[in-house]
Amino acid sequence: MKVRGLLWRRLPLRTRVIGAFTLGAAIAALVLVVITYGLSRQSMLQQREESSQRQFFANARQVQSSLRAENPDLTQLLESLPSLSGSRSIVRTGDETWVSLSLTPSDVPTPLISSVLEFPQAKTMRYRLDDKPVLAFGLQLQPSTASAFNEVAYFEVVPLTEVENTLESLALILLVGGALTVLVGVGIGLWASGGLLRPLTDISDAATSIAHGRFDTRLDEVKDPDLDALVTSFNEMAAAMETRITRDARFSSDVSHELRSPLMTLRASIDVMQHRREELSERTQQALDLLNDEVLRFENLVQDLLDLSRSDSGPMENDLVNIEELVKATLALSDGRIELEIANSAQGGLVMGDKRRLAQVLDNLLRNAEKYGNGATRILVSSTGTDIEIAVEDDGPGVAPSERELIFERFTRGAAARKRGTGDGAGLGLALVDEHARRHGGSAHVEGREGQPGARFVVSLPKAGHR
Amino acid sequence: MTIKILTIEDDERIRTAVRFALEDEGWSVLEAETGEQALEDFNSMNPDLVLVDIGLPGIDGFEVCRSLRRASDVPIIMVTARDDTHDVVAGLEAGADDYLSKPIAPKELSARIRALLRRVKPEDSTSAPRTVGDLEIIPEEGVVRKGGEEVHLTKTEFHLLCELSDQVGKVLSREHLLEEVWGYDYFGDGRLVDVHVRRLRTKVETDPAHPRHVVTVRGMGYKLQA
Repeated sequence: MKVRGLLWRRLPLRTRVIGAFTLGAAIAALVLVVITYGLSRQSMLQQREESSQRQFFANARQVQSSLRAENPDLTQLLESLPSLSGSRSIVRTGDETWVSLSLTPSDVPTPLISSVLEFPQAKTMRYRLDDKPVLAFGLQLQPSTASAFNEVAYFEVVPLTEVENTLESLALILLVGGALTVLVGVGIGLWASGGLLRPLTDISDAATSIAHGRFDTRLDEVKDPDLDALVTSFNEMAAAMETRITRDARFSSDVSHELRSPLMTLRASIDVMQHRREELSERTQQALDLLNDEVLRFENLVQDLLDLSRSDSGPMENDLVNIEELVKATLALSDGRIELEIANSAQGGLVMGDKRRLAQVLDNLLRNAEKYGNGATRILVSSTGTDIEIAVEDDGPGVAPSERELIFERFTRGAAARKRGTGDGAGLGLALVDEHARRHGGSAHVEGREGQPGARFVVSLPKAGHR
Repeated sequence: MTIKILTIEDDERIRTAVRFALEDEGWSVLEAETGEQALEDFNSMNPDLVLVDIGLPGIDGFEVCRSLRRASDVPIIMVTARDDTHDVVAGLEAGADDYLSKPIAPKELSARIRALLRRVKPEDSTSAPRTVGDLEIIPEEGVVRKGGEEVHLTKTEFHLLCELSDQVGKVLSREHLLEEVWGYDYFGDGRLVDVHVRRLRTKVETDPAHPRHVVTVRGMGYKLQA
């Protein structure tokens, strides 16, 4: 029972609703059919039995009275008896003597005969004769004491074919009616599940839309009071979320913008000092290098924060970007020890998106490999039907399976990064990779390399026209 | 003669640091704290290039660009604190030739300045005059005539037109134009090309909304045709 419950629950809601309606209709139809048929059958048979019985008793009385005569002509008598709807009679006048116009003694079932001879009451029996349903009556008669007859009884066999035919037609009609009811049940189930699920479909569409970054998505208002509560709370939730996301994004965007001006002064001043490096003492030079490194780190952090806040809210450039060109141009800027492999199927592959953000994705993966994986060793561009995949491999320590999702979160860093102390990134680079990829309708993940140490970061982007 | 660069920036510290950095490149730096002051002194200063911050008090950088453009072809680099599409496109439409986002590294700034100054004298275009439809282009004189009448183009627009007319009928990618006209590598901002093409069209097309000469080839780039 528990297993069945689970199975039922595992079915789609739509199927369950339709199933419930169908089952309900089927049960209702079945009950109705069974009861209607049973009652009709009972009452028709009863009616038939009663009318036949009346006739039987009337006939039996006539036979009884004729038996008073000394030597009755039973054949003639039987001929004169009225035959109601094809009833036939037979009279037993002794052990082996029977009188009938159309029946033989074997047409009457033995149990009926013996029970009639044993008891004075009338007996009834339903059975099949020549494969047709019949009703037989039997009654012990009292011949005159003078007659030679012994153990006299009168039997009448009434055909029930007509009743049977009527019942068969009735059964057919009921079955057709029942089937129609079930069909109507399925129909109502379809309609009801449609009506029931449409709001759910709408909500699911809206949620998907929000998940894809269209935070201003709202559900249309509805008249239905039950649904209205759901729609209102959904829209309120979406609005609250939108406000919050916008506020967060604006906050980090504002902070970053405020940081840009002092950074610009710092950067320019440091460059001026670097320009006059030889005028400085060795100690001052070292201090300048420290300053330079830290400002550089600061710049990267602010840039990443800005990019993240833009990724939350900013519009995206939409161009056809040739991934092969993009990867080659990015690699041209690196020191050139990275092996590049572009699968035939991915050559000239186009992605609809923002060239500079895609370049940043690649750049961040390379920087990540540089910092934590001894530098990227290979970039592999391949095609999987609807997607283009860019994989950046390194032979560093790799990423533990438990951390493979975590490292794409903002401000989280894997074990390899933590081991390096606080000196490097803030844990935003991979978050940007993930967010940019998602903004392009794609995804990013990291996996191990088969049989080798190291990590493989894979960014998958839908090809132009497949988004 | 030393090259004179006018920086319009309200933040004194940035202004000073930028001045130091540019002077290290051997350029002479003129300063203005507000847009009003810059416009007032522009003619007497006669700079070779203008660096304008968008977020100025009083009249903003966009307006400064527009006013300067009305009076001069001087190359303008816009400095933005935001590189949102809206700000960048608005600045370019106001007449800026290029833009940079804060914080600007002095190396990047001087590279951009050099590219713009180089561009003022187009050398790499084959200098023979050419005719494309009703357009007559004379690179050596920096003159463009449409139906016999001279059209006034900024230096960047002129360089862009020359680049396109070097290979009439051939589609040139935005990357190619960015490299040839602005001196950017692959990662230059394609919006520079888009906005300049739009501005060029308002000057050389009879109906800029339905361009006949400077045609967009979707997903590939632009081409010039007769």
